[in-house]
Amino acid sequence: MTECPECAASVESHDKVLGEVFPCTDCGTELEVQAVEPFAVQPAPKEAEDWGE
Amino acid sequence: MNVAVVGGSGYVGGELVRLLLGHPEVTLTQVTSETMAGKPLSRVHPNLRRATNLAFVPRAELKPADATFLATPHGEAMAPTPGLLATGGTVFDLSADHRLRDPHAYPRYYRTEHPHPELLAEAVYGLPELHRDALRRARLVAVPGCIATATILALRPLAAAVGASGLRAVVDAKSGSSAGGHDSGPAGQHAERSGVMRAYAPAGHRHAAEIEQETGVATALSCHAVEAVRGVLATVHALDVEPPEERELWKLYRAAYGAEPFVRIVHDPDGIHREPEPKILAGTNFCDVGFAPDAEHRRTVLLGALDNLGKGAAGAAVQCLNVRHGFPETAGLGFLGLHPT
Repeated sequence: MTECPECAASVESHDKVLGEVFPCTDCGTELEVQAVEPFAVQPAPKEAEDWGE
Repeated sequence: MNVAVVGGSGYVGGELVRLLLGHPEVTLTQVTSETMAGKPLSRVHPNLRRATNLAFVPRAELKPADATFLATPHGEAMAPTPGLLATGGTVFDLSADHRLRDPHAYPRYYRTEHPHPELLAEAVYGLPELHRDALRRARLVAVPGCIATATILALRPLAAAVGASGLRAVVDAKSGSSAGGHDSGPAGQHAERSGVMRAYAPAGHRHAAEIEQETGVATALSCHAVEAVRGVLATVHALDVEPPEERELWKLYRAAYGAEPFVRIVHDPDGIHREPEPKILAGTNFCDVGFAPDAEHRRTVLLGALDNLGKGAAGAAVQCLNVRHGFPETAGLGFLGLHPT
């Protein structure tokens, strides 16, 4: 288990594999598995947006 | 248990009847209306066709019930409340008549002296998120105002964390037309309302009194009418303290609301519904809250969205009923909303 780097929610490793991208269940940030043992995640790279709203 | 609604011909009354008819633990026995007495409920609430055979009765024919809901205009719940309490049932007042603990606030905000100030000390402010234990023992519940609920739920976790006395809030609130009630006068005419973006209370809105009472934060409130039937969006600018980092805000709000059935933290990184918005909450009892730190301007932006007839009135009253009488807190309130709508 680790924490979401964006919202500090608990993130379970379950059977995730290196490089897997999945959303944080609390804040929805797309997270990428950086390491399996110990389990570590980082926000996944994403395309920049400018909604201009 | 038997429940009754006083003043059931307005929008709040209609929403309350809709929720109570679908509630698994209660039987709706009477709904009063002076103007519609003798007529079926569906005459003014067409969504209730075939849902009930009840007809409106005049208030003089109201019988004691285990719980009575007062959906009357402000000022009209003060007089009958002592008599209703004397019957032994619980009273849920959806007007503003028992929300403020300070009797001197009524002449200032509602232009009337309160005839029963002793009840203001007893009434429990109907936000389970703040007063759940007191609600379990309440005889009289004062259901909060819609703008007040959206603002209080957005502001209170931050205020509790940084200290209310050092915080100042400027609130920009937008409301749909149903918040003005069934008889909103010329302001509700289609020609006046269609396409509206009107500041109807740039200063001095009475819900500020509730917000300050429940958060302790000095609050300047500006209210606007917008092109919607249901919905309130409160944008709270929390000033004069360094904004916590986003990760800390997540922790604060998760600690406050992580176990709450009707408050959701909404702050998504992607998509078109990234922050709280009332449109998808129509008919629900949710209040969605969100946040965004603005360190450059020493400001924390907080957002609260709800349906003014749902969590802002009738839904909140039913949630309080559930807490008070030991029903599952979500009973009768399971609607998740519509999308698209």
